[in-house]
Amino acid sequence: MRPPVARDVSRTRQARAQRVSRFAPVPLLLLMIFSFGILVADAKPRAPQVAPAFTLPARDGTVALDSLRGRVVLLDFWASWCEPCKRSFPWMNSLVQRYGARGLSVVAINLDKDRDLADRFVEEHEPAFTIAFDPAGTTAEAYRVAAMPSSYLVGRDGTILSAHLGFDAKKASEFEKQIAAQLTP
Amino acid sequence: MKPLLFVLALTAAALLSSCAATAVKPWDRDLLAEKKMRFNAYPMIGAVDEHIYFSKEGSTGGASVAGGGCGCN
Amino acid sequence: MQLSDTPEPARADAEPPATPPTPIASPSPLRRKLAAAAFLLLGVPALASADPMPSSPSWQLDATGLLYGERQRTSVIEPTARLTRLFANGQALSGQITLDAITGASPTGAVPSGQPLTTTTASGMVTTLPAGQVPTKKFNDLRGASDLSWDLPVGTLFKATTGAHYSREKDYQSVGASESFSLDVLRRLATITIGGGVNRDGVFPRGGTPVPLSDGTQVLTTGTDRKDVTTGLIGLSRVLTRRWLMGLSMTRTLETGYLTEPYKVISIVDSTDTAVDQRTENRPARHDRRAALASSVYHLAKDVIYVEYRYYWDDWGIRSHTADAKYRLELPDDAYLLPHVRYYTQSAASFYRPSLPQGDPLPTFASADYRIGDLSGVTIGATYGFKVPGSRGEWNVRVEYLRQWGPAGSFAGTGTPGGDDGGGGERATRAAAVALPSSKFGAFTSLDIGTIVVGYSIPF
Repeated sequence: MRPPVARDVSRTRQARAQRVSRFAPVPLLLLMIFSFGILVADAKPRAPQVAPAFTLPARDGTVALDSLRGRVVLLDFWASWCEPCKRSFPWMNSLVQRYGARGLSVVAINLDKDRDLADRFVEEHEPAFTIAFDPAGTTAEAYRVAAMPSSYLVGRDGTILSAHLGFDAKKASEFEKQIAAQLTP
Repeated sequence: MKPLLFVLALTAAALLSSCAATAVKPWDRDLLAEKKMRFNAYPMIGAVDEHIYFSKEGSTGGASVAGGGCGCN
Repeated sequence: MQLSDTPEPARADAEPPATPPTPIASPSPLRRKLAAAAFLLLGVPALASADPMPSSPSWQLDATGLLYGERQRTSVIEPTARLTRLFANGQALSGQITLDAITGASPTGAVPSGQPLTTTTASGMVTTLPAGQVPTKKFNDLRGASDLSWDLPVGTLFKATTGAHYSREKDYQSVGASESFSLDVLRRLATITIGGGVNRDGVFPRGGTPVPLSDGTQVLTTGTDRKDVTTGLIGLSRVLTRRWLMGLSMTRTLETGYLTEPYKVISIVDSTDTAVDQRTENRPARHDRRAALASSVYHLAKDVIYVEYRYYWDDWGIRSHTADAKYRLELPDDAYLLPHVRYYTQSAASFYRPSLPQGDPLPTFASADYRIGDLSGVTIGATYGFKVPGSRGEWNVRVEYLRQWGPAGSFAGTGTPGGDDGGGGERATRAAAVALPSSKFGAFTSLDIGTIVVGYSIPF
């Protein structure tokens, strides 16, 4: 048995506790979302060590990764609906122009489901490099592509030297230095 | 409003669990990349509507924090 | 493995307005410039260490014009223009200007009277209203609003959006700022948004702020009454399948200050429900509003279905349900038709009083404003969007019809064609009032609204 005053205090406290508990789910929910989301977001798929082989239809004929053994290959995965992909095309054009003679090949694998959309994009952006078509996304699966666009630098021996997500002009110049370092001077 | 918050929290948790749906691969985002696949796909018309309903109904809110008040009567 | 750069934004709503695909035949001046820049680079290998990509900023102009008309009441013309600067790094800065020209009449809140009713306003204006008509107040106003918005992506998964607002009309001013952050999680299958906003508004009624629950002739102040608004938002959106996007969000809005409608009144009625006098309204100085919204966007083979449901509740006792559905039907040549249906229903605020009985003590808070009474509404309409051949601009035209009705309307208004046109509808309502308890009866039966919106968007 508590004195009446204490009961009043506890009732006020109870009321406050009720009020608090009404809002409690909100920050709780936020915390849950954040911790959970960030944990899972960090678990990005790892690119394989050795570049998986492929043979894909190209604009004329086919292209096989094996046939490029001995050259440094920039392997790019793109789609017509991807905004940063549009910005990466002029950059890849300039790479081919400057480093092609020094042993660099650029192969850009299109992942559009509709070939017409890919063709329209190619016509508009006029790539000076090889375009391959993989509407089923089999190669993207094999390379564990984590974002669009994604590019992989494949060494002369067929190992994956680095993987890059997305396209950003500033980061691209860093990437370019890395590419140049692999080439014969 | 505890039941509602509870349902919301539960739904949010379900939406966040990675097993809620088969993962959509990055290269399968062609449809999602379309402008019409947004919650606010028609922003100009949406702003007009927000203004109309704000001045004709007792409710407001739900989707955004932006926007200004009016003495609309 | 190196993680870097700007991948494609996962969230459809986070992506800056993309320029629509250009016809192959006519590359834009921008694209030509880009190509030229790239060409320059080809010939200058020394630039290898420098930024290899020229920035590719672009502009977007969005303009709309709204025509709004209520039967026998208010009409509004509202032109809006928004200019957006899109930067190559994903930033977007936009400025918007809106003008509102409003003319017409707004219901005062008083019930129609059996006799001519004479009212005196705070400024000493005397008006007389014929018997049997819904008392309205004629007004016209011009409102100007400007909004600024800045999207700043930080890294690949985070984006901050900052907004500022200013608007002014004859008797109201609004100054506000907002900030929201969104973060992509779950390999960008989900996005969390958190935001907040504040408004510091001012109300300065013409003729001064009337004393609450008075006859309206006494003025409380001729200065500015403050109204502060604070809003918070949490949201979550989730890609469920390749075709399906779902979202949940909640907002809480806290309004404090002068929340009363200065020109609205409540009738004092006698035992026969005849208006004999009137009082200005009075609302609490605090309004705590909450809303939860669930939305879904689903892509069929070509068409898209949008569905939304919102539940709203506040400390004034208003509860509301809003259901909204749109269907985007793709037509040839990049055109589309977007039919739209919306249903809304709300319960009344606890202090909503259609009228006050003569002789009863006055309540602390009372309002006869039908917008916080029992109210339902249906909107039907459609948008037609199209492109003019040879132009990159997009046009859209939307026509909608909105009907609102109160509980009295469900008894008397429904059978009366024309409803609120001041004639038979109102008389029918008076007849129904005899059968209804006066607390259930308001001046509001129904309201018909038509709107036309014409919009034009062009990237350049």
